[in-house]
Amino acid sequence: MEKKYGVYICKGCSIGESVNIDKLSQIATKGMGIPLCKSHDVLCSPEGINLIKEDIQKEGVNAIAIAACSPRVKFEEFDFPGTITERANIREFVAWTQEPNTEETQSLAEDYLTMHITKLKKGDMPEPNILENLSSTILVVGGGVAGMNAALDAANAGYSVLLVEKEPQLGGFANKVYKKIPTGEYFTEPLIVDTGIENVIKSVESHPNIKVYKSSIIEKTEGQPGLFDVTISSNGSSETVRTGAVVLATGWKPYDASKLDYLGYGKKNVVTNIEFEDIAKKNNGRILRPSDGKEAKRVAFIQCAGQRDPNHLPYCSSMCCATSLKQAKYVRQDKDAVAMIFYKDIRTPGRLELYYKEAQNDPGVMLTKADVKGVSDAGNGNLYVEMENTLLGEKVKIEADMVVLAAGMVPTTRAPQEYLDGLTAAAAKGDDAKKKYIEETPKPDFILNLNYKQGPEIPSLEGAYGFADSNFICFPYETRRTGVYSAGGVKRPMDTTEAQSDAAGAVFKAIQCIDHVAKGIAVHPRTWDVTFPDPLMIRCTSCKRCTEECPFGAIDEDEKGTPFYKVNRCRRCGTCMGACPERIVSFKDYSVDIIGSMIKTIESPDEETFRILCFACENDAYPALDTAALHRKKIDPSVRFVSLRCLGGMNLVWVADALSKGIDGILLLGCKFGENYQCHFVKGSELANYRFGKVGETLNRLQLEAERVQMLQVSITDYEKLPDMINEFVEKVKELGPNPFKGM
Amino acid sequence: MEQVIRPDLSFVNDVIASGGESLKKCYQCATCTVVCNVTPDSNPFPRKEMIWAQWGLRDKFIGNPDVWLCHQCNDCTAYCPRGAKPGEVIGAIRKQSIMQYSQPCFMARLVNDKKFMPLIFLLPAVLFAVVLTAIGKFTIPQGEIVFLKFVPVLLIQALFVPALGFGSLIGILGVRKYWKDMSNTRLSEKQAGGCLSCSTENIMNSVIATVQEVLAHQKFKKCDVAKDRFSAHFFVFYSFIALGIATAIGALYIDILDMPSPFKLGYGTPVKLFGTIGAIGLLIGVLLMISNRFKNAQKVGIGSYFDWLLITVIGVVMASGILSWVTRLANIPMLAYPIYFVHLISVFSLFVYLPYSKLSHIFYRVAAIVYAKYTGRDKTN
Repeated sequence: MEKKYGVYICKGCSIGESVNIDKLSQIATKGMGIPLCKSHDVLCSPEGINLIKEDIQKEGVNAIAIAACSPRVKFEEFDFPGTITERANIREFVAWTQEPNTEETQSLAEDYLTMHITKLKKGDMPEPNILENLSSTILVVGGGVAGMNAALDAANAGYSVLLVEKEPQLGGFANKVYKKIPTGEYFTEPLIVDTGIENVIKSVESHPNIKVYKSSIIEKTEGQPGLFDVTISSNGSSETVRTGAVVLATGWKPYDASKLDYLGYGKKNVVTNIEFEDIAKKNNGRILRPSDGKEAKRVAFIQCAGQRDPNHLPYCSSMCCATSLKQAKYVRQDKDAVAMIFYKDIRTPGRLELYYKEAQNDPGVMLTKADVKGVSDAGNGNLYVEMENTLLGEKVKIEADMVVLAAGMVPTTRAPQEYLDGLTAAAAKGDDAKKKYIEETPKPDFILNLNYKQGPEIPSLEGAYGFADSNFICFPYETRRTGVYSAGGVKRPMDTTEAQSDAAGAVFKAIQCIDHVAKGIAVHPRTWDVTFPDPLMIRCTSCKRCTEECPFGAIDEDEKGTPFYKVNRCRRCGTCMGACPERIVSFKDYSVDIIGSMIKTIESPDEETFRILCFACENDAYPALDTAALHRKKIDPSVRFVSLRCLGGMNLVWVADALSKGIDGILLLGCKFGENYQCHFVKGSELANYRFGKVGETLNRLQLEAERVQMLQVSITDYEKLPDMINEFVEKVKELGPNPFKGM
Repeated sequence: MEQVIRPDLSFVNDVIASGGESLKKCYQCATCTVVCNVTPDSNPFPRKEMIWAQWGLRDKFIGNPDVWLCHQCNDCTAYCPRGAKPGEVIGAIRKQSIMQYSQPCFMARLVNDKKFMPLIFLLPAVLFAVVLTAIGKFTIPQGEIVFLKFVPVLLIQALFVPALGFGSLIGILGVRKYWKDMSNTRLSEKQAGGCLSCSTENIMNSVIATVQEVLAHQKFKKCDVAKDRFSAHFFVFYSFIALGIATAIGALYIDILDMPSPFKLGYGTPVKLFGTIGAIGLLIGVLLMISNRFKNAQKVGIGSYFDWLLITVIGVVMASGILSWVTRLANIPMLAYPIYFVHLISVFSLFVYLPYSKLSHIFYRVAAIVYAKYTGRDKTN
């Protein structure tokens, strides 16, 4: 592409009062040789935007550098299709964080402009990479409330849907319950109503856009978003179908009640909440206890049976309190019967609080906080519930005809995860241990059987307890397999009402995925990004570092061991770029050379003037810096920030280049370590740290102090203290003295 | 020691039916005990009473002074975040306590059940009508209005002395049982090692302190939201005392000294002054009670049948008393005698239903206060 450059400098938001705009313009015109350089009082105003648009139309400008505010704001105003647009952040990083009109402030603004014009010169116009034969079909796995609603939502939006259900009928858990909590007004309706699930099943089965596979499982899922080839096995026969995206709605399983023997499970007339539904359904609402079929007049409900307990399920299943209140109403269909609920806390989020109030208003629904210590026989099949610290007294016991344990939800993804984690651990101990593990460990039902280098199922995530979660803060629906979106109880504990709306969210994401791959844009989180990793394969040594480090399995190896991209799986983090020792992976606007060239332009005038280079993760550190600037925090003027898509893309050559050019110190701002921190790209920051461990060699070679380079973990909320952390580093470097390579 | 809890659904239903319909709304935040100015500091009410009642723990209320220590200021009700109205609920529990102690319990049920309301006024009316008919007096007498012409002294003595005696006796028997239960509860707490007040004070000192407290209306002064209850109760209380004195002097004149009735027209005596002051005080007190109920209805609820029955009976006593006096002065026999008849019935009802109506707090609350003082329960730190 023939580039025609234009540089535009904004004077608004106090930039004009901090920086000498004329001198800054000369950087473009004289320093970088770009004659077309204009400034405007408010560049984001319609007049300012028109100024640029006119140049695009009349002058044919197609490579634009804008020196104004952070690229995180005004992105709609400064969007000029058909051009490459680079933005130098001289508002947040200069005007708002520096003393106005000093030599160092001016120099900082000039450096940013130079760096971004350099980037503009080095970069190229991205062309979308659109793969062929893309499918827009959505595969929904699981035919419960979440799955059926997902299927209906997608089908009603005009997409064809394949719905795979393991059981011979659709409906999931909703089939097993006697009544449900109404979704309308609790005050006017009875507190228990029919599930109506059969109507949903009917709608799904009769929908022209939905194809239902019952008694079916997924044998294999190959490919990538837009091109998933899924082999469905039903009744001994297999069929391979192509789909664009997957909604995982396989739900949950009740917690293994045999582990609840400390609450009396195993004794006669002690049942779980799921078994209780069965009793009510079977007897059409009458609560007949298992031991003798006698009507239970006193039913005790023990909440948090194994839940919020580090030895069982550390989390709250969120629906059991409401479920027990509902089941208490089953008991109360007999006006002489009482339901006694023993809770840690009643947790009925959202509108369910009103349900709690209504249910509690029933004279025969009795509640108390209690630490249940045990359940013992009281004779005649009756039971004593023993508890402490209740609202009724310090140590009390109560006799019941029947005890119901409010057991929690375990996601269907948990068992395969645990099995696979065990397998990995065994494999690490050697082939014998692995073989033994495979022989001795019962293999649970796998769900997706993904053909991924990283394993066949949704990976386990620290702190997610087996739920198909990846980043609940920013991307609640996305799993760690691009194109696979989770909905309902498999994602986090939820009730059917929530699962219903959750299904809609996951379907929206699946549709977005199909839409983006059709346009050749990243699916997420860089949802605007047309660039993609484009390796110079001729120099590839097949070292496989990229395939190992790619967090999303976007790089596979062919039979010869040569890596190749499944680009629709890629999230454009650039981890491969940082991983490649040959530095062959580039994006059109992001490469080792582009960043390296930007760094090389940083002026280091004399020995008295320090220059610090700071790489900042665009997802956490960079927004934190912007926020710090918004709070007018001061940052040492020697620091130059360079935004990285992810610190996982950090290449050590930049460090060597910068230090040998006389940069006095290098700071890396990555996100916090640990999976539960929810890094956008799984563990880019940790990878950078690992690579950084080898920086010692570079420093040794250059005979420089190790303290000149440092990595800090920053979260987006650290904006208050981040400037001080940076300034502290600068002071430390100043104590070490200037880089001896300066000026060489 | 481990306690066995035995929920009794019928007790829950009884409390709800007696004006505690908000009972089940309580979720045990304990705001009520925090805002209550009347409760002792240790093991305060009414939070614990709320959950006991929710669980139908009838036994917990046997031998418990706390429900009677409550003066129904209704600060708890005003501040309750869930509208559980603890003050009203405790009132309903007190009603249950009356049924427990005032024998025979069918009488308590009769008095406190809305559907028997016509009956409880009809019964004495019929009784009076029958007796008056039997002695041939159930007509309006001729000449100057003298109520004794209509109902002879002897008949009044024969009906009212036993009525008051019956009411008092039942009340005293109830208190005896209540006291015994409180002692037993304390004993078993002591044995369990969980005794709240193991030492006892001098009983006479406790009684004296209680009398002082009651006369000064100390507890009512602590009420916050319904602070007007102090003056209402004060007027009603002292008016009854004034009326009681007037009646006693009247009885002294007529029955003992065999002198003419001091209430005779045109026969000015200090006794009449007592009666007049009492009547006017009662009028003010009752009006205050009614207006307070309406004024605070938003915050604390309008009250239950249990409350209104007593207000009604006292109101009728007051109104028929004043009206029979006025109609006698105006010399309208056609009104004066029937109103006097109503007055007699209402006073009779007041006496005979004394231990069963809300008025029985004369016995039980006083007993509870004495007991609390006696056992040190009443101490605030």
